[in-house]
Amino acid sequence: MPFLKLRNLELKTPLMLASGTWGLGENLDLYLTKEEIKSNIGAFVSKGISRLPKKGNPPPRLYETPCGLINSIGLENPGLEVFKRDYLPKLFCYGVPLIINLHGEEVEDFVALVEGFKEENVDGIELNISCPNVKKGGIAFSSDPKGVKTLVKEVRKVWEKFLAVKLSPVGPVYEIAEICEKEGVDALVVANTYPALGVIDLAPLKVIKGGLSGPAIKPLTLRLVYELAQKVKLPIIGSGGILSGKDALEYLVCGAKAFQIGVANLIDPTSPVKIIQEMEEIKKKHGLFG
Amino acid sequence: MYQGEVIKNLPLSHNVYLLRVKTDLDIIFSFNPGQFVKIKINERIDPLIPRPFTIHDVKKNSFYVLYQVVGKGTKALSLVQPGSKIEFLGPLGKPFPKLENYVICAGGIGIAGFIYLLESIKRKIHTYELPKKIFYGARTAEDLVCYPFLEDIETEVEIATEDGSQGYKGLITEPLRKYLEKNKVDVLACGPLPMLKAIAQIAQHFGVKAYLTMETFLSCGTGFCKGCVIPLKNGNYVHLCIEGPTLLAEEIDFDAIS
Repeated sequence: MPFLKLRNLELKTPLMLASGTWGLGENLDLYLTKEEIKSNIGAFVSKGISRLPKKGNPPPRLYETPCGLINSIGLENPGLEVFKRDYLPKLFCYGVPLIINLHGEEVEDFVALVEGFKEENVDGIELNISCPNVKKGGIAFSSDPKGVKTLVKEVRKVWEKFLAVKLSPVGPVYEIAEICEKEGVDALVVANTYPALGVIDLAPLKVIKGGLSGPAIKPLTLRLVYELAQKVKLPIIGSGGILSGKDALEYLVCGAKAFQIGVANLIDPTSPVKIIQEMEEIKKKHGLFG
Repeated sequence: MYQGEVIKNLPLSHNVYLLRVKTDLDIIFSFNPGQFVKIKINERIDPLIPRPFTIHDVKKNSFYVLYQVVGKGTKALSLVQPGSKIEFLGPLGKPFPKLENYVICAGGIGIAGFIYLLESIKRKIHTYELPKKIFYGARTAEDLVCYPFLEDIETEVEIATEDGSQGYKGLITEPLRKYLEKNKVDVLACGPLPMLKAIAQIAQHFGVKAYLTMETFLSCGTGFCKGCVIPLKNGNYVHLCIEGPTLLAEEIDFDAIS
């Protein structure tokens, strides 16, 4: 019995590995056995894939804040064709549903990427809408509800399987969530990292601009999940600062149907096992979720 | 992550500590010189990211870390009491390359990983060649925390201190430069970035290879996050945690490292 079924996607557990927090999957089995992976990870969300390879941003790419981490990786990835050829085959071996995270600079990029995965045995697509839309002067898709509407509509024309949109926590979040619901999206991932800045040097001023993640953002994203769950019927996948089974349960009781972990996996690659274990113990103790 | 118990955590100077962590024998059996561990002080979320430390030595069922208190993470580690449980991940990264005709050059706390290399030779744990000479520099004599250990090594050691309190007065790269004028040997080095940059230039000048153990802030240590990149001259990036931490000097684009 799956824990959750969303269109074709069947999750054995509510835990998903967030995009960009487990590489391209090539080293995962150095830290977890195949059995641990299969029995604790409900789904993989791949690193963000673009049409062409991206070498990512120059260093520094990381900056630690109190209880948080700012990253500015710059979507480093090998591009669609190399990913399919060199990485997909191994990912299928784990027997865990695979969702592909996609990013593009215009709607056409997303559509081309989705078509590139049509013949592959992947279980779903997650659209990263935090990237800038070049055709609209670089404004992020997530700031432009009309842009998201077009994007989702066009993607849906070519993709019938599970489709999620990863919301940015800033911008017209509620409006975009409602658009996603109307346009046939299957789930909302709430949410991406928060735009943030770290001061590396005071003088001369040197800063890093990136996305903040980790326990520092958990109360903010929890609020967003809680509010969104009242407003839309779409299943919500919570993501933001989950380090423990208790954190995960907080998301579930606030309205999320599943959750993604990110920084937890960077701190400790065995955290999927620990989080599921702890969550089950607390659920049992408090008689939660039947 | 694995479980470990802190057996000792002693200051060796005003800001350098020696940490001994007891754990299972079969885990530390896989530790090689030049690799590192990530240490998590249990239940802490600030600092959030476990810090990486070069493996300083391995004895019986324990591994050692020699660290300098430089920020929040190392300050927190310095306060951990013997008997405390910690978690760690390792060994991470690639071991030191196996060189035949080479010298070691260490600046300050950069000496930490070389002790395990030298101990491995002495105790025949790993098959490394003995370096022709060891260059060891620090700001003052007090900062030469590993000097007593080096006195037992069967190879020549040259010391430099910036204040002249022991050995040559000045930077350790000067005695290294003089040595390379007469000897064609490769260099294995670890220390502050300006020292490594200078060694890259010196090695290029004398037509020898230099292998530099680099440092940068890293989060996962496993290749998952792609955060710890070092720019290369060919325009690509290397992920230090899995492709390093020791890199070939001539490939590194020091101008792009700020």
